[in-house]
Amino acid sequence: MPRNNQYNQPVTSSQISSHRIKILKKIVFVALAIIAVRLFFIQIIEHDMWVAKADEQHTLLETIVAKRGEIYMMDGDEPAAVVLNQTTYQIIIDPAITEKDAIEKALTTYAKDYIVVDLDEVYGREGLRYSIVAKNVPREIATKIAEEDISAVWFQKNNQRVYPEGDLASGLLGFVNADGLGQYGVEGSLNGLLSGKDGLLKATADVNNVALSIGNDNVKIPAEDGKNIVLSVDRGLEKGVEEKAIDAINSTAATNAAVLIMNPNTGEVIAMANLPNYNPDDYGNVADASSYVNYTTEIPYEPASVCKNFAFSAAINEGVMTPDTTYFNQGYEIIDGWKIQNAEQRSMLYGTINMRTALYWSLNTGSIYALKLLGGNSNEITQQGREKLYDYYYNKFRLGRATGIELIEAEGFIPDPNEGWGRDSVYANMTFGQNLGITMIQTATAFSAVVNGGFYRTPTIVKGTLENGEIVSSAKNDVINEQILSEETSSAMRSMLVNNRDYKVRAGIDRAGYSIGGKSGTAQVIKDGAYDDTMSETVGTYIGFVGTEGELPKYVIMVKMWGEGQYLDGGIASGLFDSLSNYLIDYLKIKPKA
Amino acid sequence: MKIRKHKSDLVILFATLGLMALGLIIIYAIGPMRANVLNATYGTDYGTNDFFFGQLRSVGLSLIAFFLAFKVIPYKYIKKYAKPLMIIAIILSGLLWVLSIIGSSLVKCELGECRWFNFGGLSFQPAEFLKLAMVIYLADFLSRKKEEGNIGKWREFWLPLLIICGISLFLVVIAQGDLGTGVALISIIFGMLLIAGVPAKQYLIMLALVIVVAVGAVATSSHRMERVDAWMATLTGGESSDSTYHIENAMLAIGTGGFFGVGIGNSVQATGYLPESINDSVFAIMGETFGFVGLFLIMVVFGAMLLRMLKVAEGTQALDSRLLIIGVFSWTLAQVVVNIMAMTSLVPVTGITLPLLSYGGTSMVFITFAIGLVLQLSCYTSREVIVKNEDISSRRGVRGAYHSSRRRNS
Repeated sequence: MPRNNQYNQPVTSSQISSHRIKILKKIVFVALAIIAVRLFFIQIIEHDMWVAKADEQHTLLETIVAKRGEIYMMDGDEPAAVVLNQTTYQIIIDPAITEKDAIEKALTTYAKDYIVVDLDEVYGREGLRYSIVAKNVPREIATKIAEEDISAVWFQKNNQRVYPEGDLASGLLGFVNADGLGQYGVEGSLNGLLSGKDGLLKATADVNNVALSIGNDNVKIPAEDGKNIVLSVDRGLEKGVEEKAIDAINSTAATNAAVLIMNPNTGEVIAMANLPNYNPDDYGNVADASSYVNYTTEIPYEPASVCKNFAFSAAINEGVMTPDTTYFNQGYEIIDGWKIQNAEQRSMLYGTINMRTALYWSLNTGSIYALKLLGGNSNEITQQGREKLYDYYYNKFRLGRATGIELIEAEGFIPDPNEGWGRDSVYANMTFGQNLGITMIQTATAFSAVVNGGFYRTPTIVKGTLENGEIVSSAKNDVINEQILSEETSSAMRSMLVNNRDYKVRAGIDRAGYSIGGKSGTAQVIKDGAYDDTMSETVGTYIGFVGTEGELPKYVIMVKMWGEGQYLDGGIASGLFDSLSNYLIDYLKIKPKA
Repeated sequence: MKIRKHKSDLVILFATLGLMALGLIIIYAIGPMRANVLNATYGTDYGTNDFFFGQLRSVGLSLIAFFLAFKVIPYKYIKKYAKPLMIIAIILSGLLWVLSIIGSSLVKCELGECRWFNFGGLSFQPAEFLKLAMVIYLADFLSRKKEEGNIGKWREFWLPLLIICGISLFLVVIAQGDLGTGVALISIIFGMLLIAGVPAKQYLIMLALVIVVAVGAVATSSHRMERVDAWMATLTGGESSDSTYHIENAMLAIGTGGFFGVGIGNSVQATGYLPESINDSVFAIMGETFGFVGLFLIMVVFGAMLLRMLKVAEGTQALDSRLLIIGVFSWTLAQVVVNIMAMTSLVPVTGITLPLLSYGGTSMVFITFAIGLVLQLSCYTSREVIVKNEDISSRRGVRGAYHSSRRRNS
């Protein structure tokens, strides 16, 4: 037996027991000390690291998506929605969880019209775990299916643009792509205004990503919803215009038509059509991206003889020409070695004729003569003439420059009067609208100045924003409202333009009591780097105005028709103009002269 | 030998009551979050304060058990039933095993482990009862063997001991897959063997044997090995995975607590990130809530309670009583240390409750009953250090028991 040294007595079991209790005491101390050191390490030394990890795990960072603004047109005096928002759902199933009967029943009972797949086929595919079975399902229907509580079904929420008018004015309106970004048209040009500003939610969240009230650095920046935009376009008129344009396409060789109708006295666009339309609900399904293009603002082209209005206006406004000014028409001119011919070569026009006749028959020699007069020399084109014409085209009519309309715009170009080779022939061509690039909106705005008493006004297509049911007109910067032609010039031009349609009156197309004037244009198309003199493909343009006789014009209508490899002249375009001018009179109830 | 009854150990008493109160407070704070997470994740229908009321019920039952053990049922009486209690405990665990094999609805399983009887919503975990029975049984068994002078003998001592402990451990660790309770049982057994005076050599051989078996059991079980791997990964800063999720989030909770904690009701980890936030991981939530200061105080309370238990054991003359106290001590120590060390990634996660603080009825009822017994026995201590005087009875009249003498003087 071991000995207890102090007392020199045998060590008893009690002594052993007491000794062993001390071991247990030590165990308690050591264990708790290890834990205390460990806790100090985790809670004090590593504290910042764990807080950083916790932030990473607990912080919910969520974008509060701003509601995209809606787009309205006018219906008389009231705004009418043409682009709306709707929350829809995609229904997704997991075919590996066989609840086929329940799913099939729920889908066919509630969402029959939205099914996009063949369920049997989906269930037939090996290993498929994900299949979108229905799209664009409205909330009420999705809720009903959700109430069936089928475990293999779930829902994907989509914020979707809805088009109550279908494909109406698709080229004007544009679409919103899958990323929520406005593309083309108003959606594209006013994307910033429409999309608003997304908000931000930063919060401590629980494991199911539900924001908690715990945490003191929670941030909530509310979203600023996008503005509802009201266009000056009249919905009913737009519909009618598009119908007429489609009729025109169907009854001619044209494949495309673009129409622009504006109020020349305010610059407000009331119809803007690009035919054929595409379906904005299914915007991906088009032949090519040109289907999205708004031809009235985005594509500069050569409107041809329509531009004679501008050359004539310039000469009249400069006081060097009147409608009664005469010149000798021999059917052609040779400039810089090029022979420029008139399209109209009937013998009765040879010899001395006045400018009214020249415009009526759209003689190129007439507009070239106006250019000569601008230069102060009736026998040849001078530098002064070119510079004057440039001044009118570029500075006054603002051709080849963005107008400032609230849409995506191309600038186009006006050749320099002095730089480059063959300026005289280039400027001769410019008098009848070739050798330059200008858009329909530029042309129609300049034409408005020609007929409205001489005022250039920045065109506009946005009436304002819709706030609480009220249209609030948006303040516009850099709006031009400038008299560029005299009243007399404008009046002289109107009378010539009305005269141009003399035969339409005789044909009973233009009704009595109305003042309707217009000018056609047939543009050759550049093929292989040069104008194609065979005229195998041409673009037909017609521009004109409609109003009550004896009053200022109320509306300017511009029509462009074209088709790949097709001959389309101003006469064909005028056919569409005719139906539109009459439609406009009826639709807008324009009164004839009493 | 007769020792006068005196006042019980107030440290153990107030530590027990204080910890239970703290447990109630923390469950009150995080119970709603737990309910919310379960409702959102599993579509259950827990009310905001269901967990608080559950804990309140547990605390109520525990206080009754505590009072019965402390004041009503004398240990001598309990000791008489040591053997039947042990047999009942083994039968219950065995019955649970059989019923779980045949898939009876009376058995409640969670995450593949069947550890509970289920009687119409009331659940009962026989392993908790087994721990108490083991303490009572071994106190009786070891003191008898001591009296008979059979300690350390193979046939009379080791064989019956190995059989009874082997069956118990099999039922708990293998049948119920409850490694946590297994660790507590081993701690109880070895704590009591140590004080029973098993020769040091035999004791160390047995300890080594158990360690070898334990390591073998872990190495051959894939899901236990996974826990060890996860533990190693968190210790060495390895890749996060599903199995490291629990321990990482426990550490994250403790770590974010910092010095003073985030305060009651501000725990984020309790909102579903930390698994078992109200049961096994409640220490981590407390770390987040009360910080280092709070955890240190909790450790001080547990430490004081454990040391007082040893003090009571030291002052207890009767070997059976002393062994019982050491059993309860070992039990408490094992649960506290293994639970906290798992939460701080010092040992692999075993799934063990933190006494008096964790949510859960059975474990709290039995451990409070056990602590109640310690308190009952603490009324009969003598302060005289036994080493100095082998013949205790001769001390009577010389100095007497410390407490009793003090009372006499007053």
